[in-house]
Amino acid sequence: MNKKWILPTLYILFLMLPIYGLLSMSFKTTNEILGGFSFFPQQFTLANYTKIFTDPTWYNGYINSLIYVCINTLISVSVALPAAYAFSRYRFLGDKHLFFWLLTNRMAPPAVFALPFFQLYSAIELFDTHLAVALAHCLFNIPLAVWILEGFMSGIPKELDETAYLDGYSFPRFFIRIFIPTIAAGIGVAAFFCFMYSWVELLLAKTLTSVDAKPIAATMTRTASTSGYELGLLAAAGSLTIIPGAIVIYFVRNYIAKGFALGRV
Amino acid sequence: MSRIEFRDVRHAYPPPPGQAPVYALKEVSQVWEDGGAYALLGPSGCGKTTLLNIISGLLTPSEGSIRFDERDVTGLPTSERQIAQVFQFPVVYDTMSVFDNLAFPLRNRGMPESRVSQRVTEIAEMLDLSERLGQRASGLTADGKQKISLGRGLVREDVNAILFDEPLTVIDPHLKWQLRSKLKELHQQIGVTMIYVTHDQVEALTFADKVVVMHDGGVVQVGSPVELFNRPRHTFVGYFIGSPGMNILPCSLDRGQPVFANNLLSSGYPVDTDLSGKLEIGIRPEFIRFSDDGIAVEIQKVEDLGRYQVVTVRHESSQIKMLVGEDQAIPSEDPKISFDPDNLRIYCDDWVVESAHA
Repeated sequence: MNKKWILPTLYILFLMLPIYGLLSMSFKTTNEILGGFSFFPQQFTLANYTKIFTDPTWYNGYINSLIYVCINTLISVSVALPAAYAFSRYRFLGDKHLFFWLLTNRMAPPAVFALPFFQLYSAIELFDTHLAVALAHCLFNIPLAVWILEGFMSGIPKELDETAYLDGYSFPRFFIRIFIPTIAAGIGVAAFFCFMYSWVELLLAKTLTSVDAKPIAATMTRTASTSGYELGLLAAAGSLTIIPGAIVIYFVRNYIAKGFALGRV
Repeated sequence: MSRIEFRDVRHAYPPPPGQAPVYALKEVSQVWEDGGAYALLGPSGCGKTTLLNIISGLLTPSEGSIRFDERDVTGLPTSERQIAQVFQFPVVYDTMSVFDNLAFPLRNRGMPESRVSQRVTEIAEMLDLSERLGQRASGLTADGKQKISLGRGLVREDVNAILFDEPLTVIDPHLKWQLRSKLKELHQQIGVTMIYVTHDQVEALTFADKVVVMHDGGVVQVGSPVELFNRPRHTFVGYFIGSPGMNILPCSLDRGQPVFANNLLSSGYPVDTDLSGKLEIGIRPEFIRFSDDGIAVEIQKVEDLGRYQVVTVRHESSQIKMLVGEDQAIPSEDPKISFDPDNLRIYCDDWVVESAHA
């Protein structure tokens, strides 16, 4: 008998278990969660979700997060496109060192930068704005996007550029009309990773905001309110944070594999 | 259309920091007449592609100038030179259909749409692409894509020249012949200058009226296929063209006539005796015969190629290849060979030595 499926199934169950736990908790009342373990919600309730979608302190968290994540993705990808093109097409003094140095930016924990960023953005009055968080996240997202895009661009032969010039295109027209559509898959993958890293990053986002641009993850840390622990609410909020990433990954699922094959993801 | 002229063009790619530049192209002065069919022949890495890219403007030469009909275009960008170029590996715009790919160079120059579709249909017909015009270009096989690349090069009528950079490498052998004769036919029809880069001598000799042989960054000889075969100006040409290539043997001079291994030979023309440098004789395998008296050799190998046999013989340390007709006997005892004096060339430091009295 073929038993090959047993191990993967166990593994997937193991991975899904916490997610299921979170999901099932989000449909329970806090009292039931504190009362004892149960596999299915005994008193099924949507109250937690209703609270999130009606209380501005909750749903604004999502909106804030989405705004700065989108701004960040936009900035990162549009800045990384020309940079990656330069790295893939031109040879210049120290190009390889510079390229590697970009990656080393990802090696420092964001906490290192929290304090200088806090001071800097306070000084130029960007503190507690979406732009502040978006810019701060560029620190690690631009190098990442450059790294991913460079891999995709180097897979496109230089002759494509040359043919476009021969066919009468100038560089800017070629870049926008021919080159960007050709590496659309790469842009999708880069955007996905920028989105993900910016979405899950908590420390910088929390440090650089107070009220107006407070991200959802920061809101979620304040679950101990006057009415005690609101674990059901927390679980519902947690379940909702999974959704944007799932949507984005659905769109780029076919290209991610290509990115892995290039060794750049 | 125009006459393309190279004046003292040299090119070096940017060297790694701290090293002297290495010239990929050393001093080329060359005229490409309007409407000629040229082949650029040479081994890999001899500067052929560099030369093409300088014509099309993808590279700006380090020194020298390029003129189209006396107009200096050295600094002109590629998009303004009106050159079509086809590369070794297929380049298609994946996001467009086959039709749009072929129409692209025309539309970019504002040709009316009715004329565009007429032209594209013509070219597609010629390349057997008619049935695929509506398909997306990304789904085609390598040779299908290369046909699109070729088509895009041929579709414009107003070009100064069409450059082919080993365009048939990825194409099936039987289709190769067909496409090459199509190209030749097209050249006769439209009379545009074509420059065809290849390292395959058969391709070069069948396609071109004039073959430009390049070696180590320089042009060593320009001539018709017959000239290249009969009168190679450089030992490289002799060796590279012909199958098997010319035998190049060390020699010395005695009263204007070459001496090879203590055998005084006759070369058909006397040369100056005070030549200094490395002296060699060149003789094609076609012009060596077995004879009763001559140079004593030892037969090493006989390869039967059907209509003739390639015989490899040895005299002291020199290996000599010769062609023998299938009906001719190969002597079994004491073989001796002689060279045809009219087809014997003398080379000094690899360059041919012309007659002293010419």
